[in-house]
Amino acid sequence: MLGILGKALISASFVVSLFAMIFYFVAANKEKEKTLRIGNWLFTAKVVFLVAASGILMYLIFRHQFQYYYVFNYTSLDLTPRYLFSAFYGGQEGSFMLWILISGFLGFGLMKWTRPPYKGPVLFFLTLTQVFLLSMLLGWDIFGLKLGASPFRTIAEEMPNAPFLQTNPDFVPADGSGLNDLLKSPWMMIHPPILFLGFAMMTIPYCFAMAALWKQKYNEWVGPALPWTLSANVALLTAIFLGGYWAYVTLSFGGYWAWDPVENASLVPWLIGTAGIHTMIIQRKSAVAQKSSILFAILAYVAVVYETFLTRSGILGSSSVHSFVDLGLYNQLLAFMLVVTLVGLGLFFWRYKELPSPEKEAKVLSREFMTVTGAMLLLILGLVIILGTSSPVLGQLFVEKPTPPEISFYNNWSMPIVMIMAIFTVLGQYLFWKKYDAESLASALINPLLVTSAVTIASIIIGDVRNLYYMTYLFCGYFAIVGNAWVLFRLALQKPKLIGGSLSHIGFGLLLVGILASSAYNEPLVDQRTANYNEAVERGEVTDEQGFTVTQKEEMLELYLDEPVLIDNRYVVTYEGYELDNIVRRGQQNYRIRFEPLDGGKAFYMQPEVYPMLTSSSNENIQWSVDPDVRTGLFSDIYLYVGGSSYVQEQNDRIAENSMMQNVAFQDTLGEGSEVQTIEFNLGQTIDVGKFKIRFVNYSRTDTTQLPPNTTIGVRAEVELIHPASGRIFTVDPLFAVYSEQGQSYIYSPPSFIPDFDLEFQFTQIKPQENSIELTVTGLEEEYEPEWVLIVADEKPFTSVVWAGTFILMAGFSVSIFRHWGRERKKNKE
Amino acid sequence: MKPKLIIGIVAIVGFTSLLMYNFGESISTYTTFEGAAERSTAHIPGTWDEEKGAEFSMETKRFTFYMKDEDGVSRKVVYPKPKPNNFEEADQLVVIGEMRGDIFYANEMLMKCPSKYNDNDPGRFVNASDS
Repeated sequence: MLGILGKALISASFVVSLFAMIFYFVAANKEKEKTLRIGNWLFTAKVVFLVAASGILMYLIFRHQFQYYYVFNYTSLDLTPRYLFSAFYGGQEGSFMLWILISGFLGFGLMKWTRPPYKGPVLFFLTLTQVFLLSMLLGWDIFGLKLGASPFRTIAEEMPNAPFLQTNPDFVPADGSGLNDLLKSPWMMIHPPILFLGFAMMTIPYCFAMAALWKQKYNEWVGPALPWTLSANVALLTAIFLGGYWAYVTLSFGGYWAWDPVENASLVPWLIGTAGIHTMIIQRKSAVAQKSSILFAILAYVAVVYETFLTRSGILGSSSVHSFVDLGLYNQLLAFMLVVTLVGLGLFFWRYKELPSPEKEAKVLSREFMTVTGAMLLLILGLVIILGTSSPVLGQLFVEKPTPPEISFYNNWSMPIVMIMAIFTVLGQYLFWKKYDAESLASALINPLLVTSAVTIASIIIGDVRNLYYMTYLFCGYFAIVGNAWVLFRLALQKPKLIGGSLSHIGFGLLLVGILASSAYNEPLVDQRTANYNEAVERGEVTDEQGFTVTQKEEMLELYLDEPVLIDNRYVVTYEGYELDNIVRRGQQNYRIRFEPLDGGKAFYMQPEVYPMLTSSSNENIQWSVDPDVRTGLFSDIYLYVGGSSYVQEQNDRIAENSMMQNVAFQDTLGEGSEVQTIEFNLGQTIDVGKFKIRFVNYSRTDTTQLPPNTTIGVRAEVELIHPASGRIFTVDPLFAVYSEQGQSYIYSPPSFIPDFDLEFQFTQIKPQENSIELTVTGLEEEYEPEWVLIVADEKPFTSVVWAGTFILMAGFSVSIFRHWGRERKKNKE
Repeated sequence: MKPKLIIGIVAIVGFTSLLMYNFGESISTYTTFEGAAERSTAHIPGTWDEEKGAEFSMETKRFTFYMKDEDGVSRKVVYPKPKPNNFEEADQLVVIGEMRGDIFYANEMLMKCPSKYNDNDPGRFVNASDS
């Protein structure tokens, strides 16, 4: 019932949007206040409907209404409220909904703050994009033409041919299939909403640019569009950072960036949006670059839509580790993309002749030339990344069934581009605040260049940099930091509100240096034997059984319980065991690995986790997932995850055994093949047996009334089985009883089980004079394997610098938001 | 025509052709075990040959399994890292590496899961209902 209401609300929202669009169109053309107001009312109604629909979806999720496919597919009974909340946007439909919701709320901001004549057309284009996004959620079936996929469709609608529905049409699953364990992370709460905030905000410069073309007012739009574009930029950057950090610290992707299409999908709009910010700023300042500002504003949003198309239409196929499921929205997404692009670029070229051109060409040494060139470089970098991401489509020009490009494609192209950019940031910033000719600029730059050279040389020596290209790259990165810092200090004394630009550029420089250090100088942490082996592999001296040269290095390390290993000649590393932790995820192991620096630093622990993926594990097969531990340091990070352990091995063996048992007729598990040992203890004694310690705590007479009537003696021993590796202690109280039957005495010692280790304890003898007992333990292996863990550890230098650069970029852009927004607010008051 | 315009056009054409050339070089084509024999680095999509199992050997520190390529040919694949997350869950694998004799040495392996933002239960659901 609620589902039908939800669907109706989305449909209503869509229809109302269409009308709002028409009214905005008329209002924009005729510039009539009244029509615009009707448009606003319709827009508001649309948002209200959508909020109501979202409320229903949220309600269905929280009430576990599994007859709805979305609820069934992304949630389960055991999810805590925070993940039930995130499940709202855990799937494709919900994430579209979140996107439109945010876009709707931004619409209210535009209604309030946008001045005529842009108001009507801006809201028209915003509504246009929302109409397309809403159409993805309709779930209409018009004569077999499917429009959108509704989040409110039921299981019966999703799988009409399922046999369980044929027999029982009202079938409701008892539990949902649950949120993917990888998404059960606090980052999931925050990363997607901020990303969609960025996407939704990037719509606004597009709307303003279109409004400018429509109304033929090519200069004034930049003022109000700038704070929005800057905000979109900060939101996207924050989302990129959160995504990268999430991937780094919990998803074991091995790093913070992998040039994955989904990552590129947020980077490219950011790059082009940033290009737009540059031209808008210079347009406001010097009334140049009107064409580029409009073009970049259009392209930034086209990039958002294009990358949305790539990641959600299923076209990326096997080239991305995390593309969405294909919901059959290919045609709709394609239409969306084509309309946004063709209308945008069409109008741009329609007005092209009319657009103001500079009367004379800018000098090379001018802030106009530097800023526009910087923007062009950002655009080129964006286009290169788009080209790489589009390999499934564009690669077909070269080969059939194209693979994604090698990572080196992205690195080789982006490196020189960002190096030129780095130089231009400094020249641009100097020229931005003061006029220079070649000579005066050169003399002004002498000091920064000297400092840069000194820092570069120091880095080369300390970091043992041998690659000439890296040296140049480092120089460019440091130049951006030092040169912009120079400008910043001078500026901060006079006009601290204007430091946004130079601060951002310092962040950019730091980012460049940090990226090189953390990716090119990433070292696996291994012991001496493995290091020697790897060196031999590098020299090509290792061959395998078939006589082929081995090219694969060994980058992991086996540690045995409490056996210290020297790693990288710097750390003594000891595996100290694990703990079973059922609080966060059932069956999770937290491993304890101790690092003791040889140089006398403080010892520390790394605590990587391994857990079974409950959503995809079954009784026959456990899927283990790992959660790395990252120790963040000022100079380097240690990144470590567990690739396997004796505990995991045992669990897998047990499961394999159990499933075999189901096939073979039942046999006594502890029968043949199991070892039987007898152990004699004194009271209070602890004995090491294999990987266990067994302690005889106490014994006491039991109440014979609970035993068979003819029992003469009944003694229970209290025995502790200690498993030092995991710190687990099991207590058993095996019984020793003597009973008589027909004059004969019999010993009765029923076994006590410890299922966790398949052990069986029997209390087989008692020697009261010596205060000792004898236990028979079945299942203890005489030749036991010590507990082990397999770790993969990397040292990543200066990852902290990458984060610092990102934060400074954010800070710089934020300063600029305040500056431009403050100015706009004043204008609004006038 | 102005000389600046010509320089500009030449620069753009030069840049674009270099970019496209390099792009063409850096992508390769998905192939099969048979096709892999002819190239130094091959991308092979396929599925895990479950019957033959998968094992991580502590001695060699290598993960070994059998994969069926798109022609249905099953070959041994050696991967020098621990078993990746989601290995069993993946409905498609892409191994990147080289063929030596009858064994494929994968330097990289990608798992195509139904979706990172989804999970495979519905997939299993649908398959079960097909039968």
